[in-house]
Amino acid sequence: MIFFVLSLITGVIMQFEEFTFPVLLPLFWHMLMLGWITQIIMGLSLWMFPGRKTEESFRNQIFAWLAFSCLNTGLILRVITEPFVTYQNTFFKALLAVSAVLQVLAAVFYIIEIWPRVLSKKQSIQKRKEAR
Amino acid sequence: MVFQSRLMIRLALMYFLIGSTLGGLILTNKAYHFDSSLWELLPVHIEFMIFGWIIQFTLGVAYWILPRFFGEDGRGKTWLATIMVLLFNLGIWLVASSQYGLLPEKGALIGRISEAAAVAIFISLHWKRVLTYNR
Repeated sequence: MIFFVLSLITGVIMQFEEFTFPVLLPLFWHMLMLGWITQIIMGLSLWMFPGRKTEESFRNQIFAWLAFSCLNTGLILRVITEPFVTYQNTFFKALLAVSAVLQVLAAVFYIIEIWPRVLSKKQSIQKRKEAR
Repeated sequence: MVFQSRLMIRLALMYFLIGSTLGGLILTNKAYHFDSSLWELLPVHIEFMIFGWIIQFTLGVAYWILPRFFGEDGRGKTWLATIMVLLFNLGIWLVASSQYGLLPEKGALIGRISEAAAVAIFISLHWKRVLTYNR
């Protein structure tokens, strides 16, 4: 929701001629599509898909935590560094590359967590029985 | 979770992985400029992330979770839902492939029509499933 608000603020800023920097457009879209929509899809699916371990702990939901951390760290790094990457600053360039890796890792960790939970009703019942 | 939903969700996850990887490459290239031709991946990145991932995942979950009709055919005609999945994914690949001249010019148009047809089927299958239990 924070990224949703930030993207909307960026969208408003972009409407003023004094602030029409080309770098704002990808930031607007990524905060909206990754920070808001993708993150809400991830959060809801982790909660509602079958096969969730009801006992909450870092160990039980490790891949979900990793996906959450990587996605948000990656996106925040991107928002901070992308406007400055046009300058010949190796520090910002390295941080932007790190943000790219973190965002891809977030997708990988989320898929590792959710893939085994895409179950048919029969599989879901069987899994529940095994867990007891 | 029904077969069509599982299929759509798994396909969406694959598009998410491929789309994110393409996006990661484009972003890294923005920092280090190692190959300018990587920018050509941008339309596929957008197509895979918006249509392949976000929209397909949403459609798959909606097909599974919206209220069902009474009786055996709880989600309507299942063969129609399978056609919806096929048309939607065919559309994505037609649009993506036509970006690189792999298909004739009309490829993108046919792809978009295919996606639109899939969405029309989705609407026809779900319109009456959007309801209140108080009726």
